[in-house]
Amino acid sequence: MSDAVRTLRVHRFKRGDDAPRVEEHLVPAHEGTTVLEALRWIQLQEDPTLGLRHSCFHASCGTCGVRVNGRERLACVTRLSDVEGAVIVDPIANLPVLHDLVVDMAAFVARFPQPHPIVRESEFLPESSPADGIDDHERYEDCIECGLCLSACPVAATDDTYVGPAALAYAQRMIEESRGGDREALLHWADQDAGAWRCHAAFECTEACPSDVRPAQRIMALRRELRGRRTDHDRAVPDRPATVTGASA
Amino acid sequence: MSERSPRQGRDAGVDEILEGRREPGPVARKLPGPVAWFDIRGRSTGHLAFSLNRITGLGLVFYLYLHLLVLSTLLRGEGSWNGFLEIATTPLFLGFDVLLVFGLLVHGLNGTRLALVGSGFVPNRQKALFWSFMIFGAIVLVYTAIHVFGSEG
Amino acid sequence: MLIVGGGGTGGALAHDLTLRGARVVLVERGEFTSGTTGRHHGLLHSGARYAVNDKESALECIEENTLLRRIAPGSFEENDGLFVGLTDEDMAYLPAFLEGCEDTGIPTQVLQPDEALRLEPMLNPVLKVAVRVPDATMDAMRMPLRFFATAKANGADLLNWVDVIDIDLAGGVVSGATVRDQVTGRQTHIGADLVVNATGPWSEQVARMAGVDVPIRPSPGVMLAVRGRLCNMVVNRLHASGDGDIVVPQRALSIVGTSSWVVEDPDDLGVPADHVQRMIDEGSMLVPAVREAPFRSAWSAARPLIGSRDDADSGRELSRTFKTIDHAVDDGVEGFVTITGGKGTTLRGMAEVCADVVSRKLGLDMPCATRETVLLPHTAAYAA
Repeated sequence: MSDAVRTLRVHRFKRGDDAPRVEEHLVPAHEGTTVLEALRWIQLQEDPTLGLRHSCFHASCGTCGVRVNGRERLACVTRLSDVEGAVIVDPIANLPVLHDLVVDMAAFVARFPQPHPIVRESEFLPESSPADGIDDHERYEDCIECGLCLSACPVAATDDTYVGPAALAYAQRMIEESRGGDREALLHWADQDAGAWRCHAAFECTEACPSDVRPAQRIMALRRELRGRRTDHDRAVPDRPATVTGASA
Repeated sequence: MSERSPRQGRDAGVDEILEGRREPGPVARKLPGPVAWFDIRGRSTGHLAFSLNRITGLGLVFYLYLHLLVLSTLLRGEGSWNGFLEIATTPLFLGFDVLLVFGLLVHGLNGTRLALVGSGFVPNRQKALFWSFMIFGAIVLVYTAIHVFGSEG
Repeated sequence: MLIVGGGGTGGALAHDLTLRGARVVLVERGEFTSGTTGRHHGLLHSGARYAVNDKESALECIEENTLLRRIAPGSFEENDGLFVGLTDEDMAYLPAFLEGCEDTGIPTQVLQPDEALRLEPMLNPVLKVAVRVPDATMDAMRMPLRFFATAKANGADLLNWVDVIDIDLAGGVVSGATVRDQVTGRQTHIGADLVVNATGPWSEQVARMAGVDVPIRPSPGVMLAVRGRLCNMVVNRLHASGDGDIVVPQRALSIVGTSSWVVEDPDDLGVPADHVQRMIDEGSMLVPAVREAPFRSAWSAARPLIGSRDDADSGRELSRTFKTIDHAVDDGVEGFVTITGGKGTTLRGMAEVCADVVSRKLGLDMPCATRETVLLPHTAAYAA
């Protein structure tokens, strides 16, 4: 249980600044201190203007996504003791920065097909039976919409139109368990250049995901699904000749 | 942007705040996109494979161009071609040949892995696939290098 | 009008008043729900916890529980909950518990140990009884965010990253607030006919800016998240309130809560290690697997408890109900209202009561429409 002083180098940017800058802070830390706690210490003790997203403190809301020494992490569950040397904190990549460490999630949310059910059947404790009057146990989807996957994706780094791993993983989950969604429409949505085919299998999204969504595997499952089916929207030529009367088959 | 109609009498302070954040901000990328492809610091196997595929792909395209350039010396007669053949057996050049084989092996084997994984077969074994293919490729490379340098070339 | 505070209460209030035709501006210094609202374990209260000692809160809870499922469909894990009796002491509490639930309209179903274990196989096998109640689980950020989404779509200006530095006061009348826009760093003024203080445990700090005092004590509690979804239903201990007496599933985690103490500064809570240990000890009495489950996070959240300075030592004695304070009536300061207290489950109800006061003061004639209005999905809060 050693107390230490850690160096944090935090990305700072306010609207109107010419360029982002880095501010260095010396933060007292003990064994369990998280990156989020360190950043809040800076906010409360040294600089109340530091912009920082957080809400739940337990990896469920997905708001505290940052890059720590270049790696995508949730600040609330990343311990300083797991990071070596100076702790460089940047906002997540591939989304517009509002200020400091805060990104504009509108661009992230816009990539998802609508509607967007977030509760699913619970696969946990399959040996249990639900109480009378309840059909199945439910649970929230794993995806906490943190954007870490989009930040880690090398394709998203070069193509802003790519819908991204989170949106594709979500579509695949909807296809797996529809909950009133339109399966065909979702497959059609995924079957576009900027959709499931834009992925180049770097698998960084799965590496970065703090919630075990495994978006890369889900994108590959989507592709398997798409591969085997006919998608008529691209067919300019019908595959059977028109009937004698001129009507199409 | 919101489709709300502009309201009369919105407070000036509120307007100022909304205006200050109307423009989308800069995207925080440390390196420009294509350069970031090759930044594997802190990244895992999948990104390494991605980067290798790109660099070998670029390398092979570059080689193809060189190859055609070299072949075009034939158009200038036997003399130029023979001149080329002289340097083609020097150790440095043979070294480049081995490099070429390296590029072909990495790109070809990883490409096979990508074709398998990317079509939805065995996505959960993509790391194991990468390393086993690369080890196989390394063995083939060593064998080739020995033969390239050992024989007349 | 200006709402200070972007937690569940502020969001629900913005939604209610927008529906009544008010021009609403809300300011929040950080991310929405980043104060107390987002940090709780996600319990949608049946109210059963308060059925014996705080019937007012229990009634509020069960009513709001039913309403929220209607206006925010798809935002709850509707698996119900269990109150589990482990000891003779717990069993002695059972009759009063059932009576209290009956009095407050909370449906119950008494289950024998084998039935309970069929529903939740990971419960402590020595349990003596379990009572099923209509608890549910919510995402503590995303459910309240739906209020923000709907208010925004209806024309409210919801400004996060705006910090209130001072309440503008002249001659006993509040005319707005001096704020700093964190995005640009610039200071500006926002004028309003009425300012509502909806800052939860920070209520006292903000009220002081208007020269008034509100009896709010920040009362934090510790929560612990462990890996593994050890139950699908909410699991409570069948006794009067105590530490670590609830286990709430959250996606693939299990949250054990909570404890209670009182602090001065809601920004400086700390996470006492002995409280975390208590969560492990008490939580594993309900669900033994808690003890060995891998650690995910431990944190504190401050409840806004109503009561004067001398009222309580630990915070558990203070009521969990809520209060609207019209400072024109109480303190002679016109144009300033505080809404405070309460719990995550009662956000809509709190907003309705406060909005009634506010609309009277602003001369708006519309009744509350939030009981029937189905909320937009949470993603709409982020839409451009």
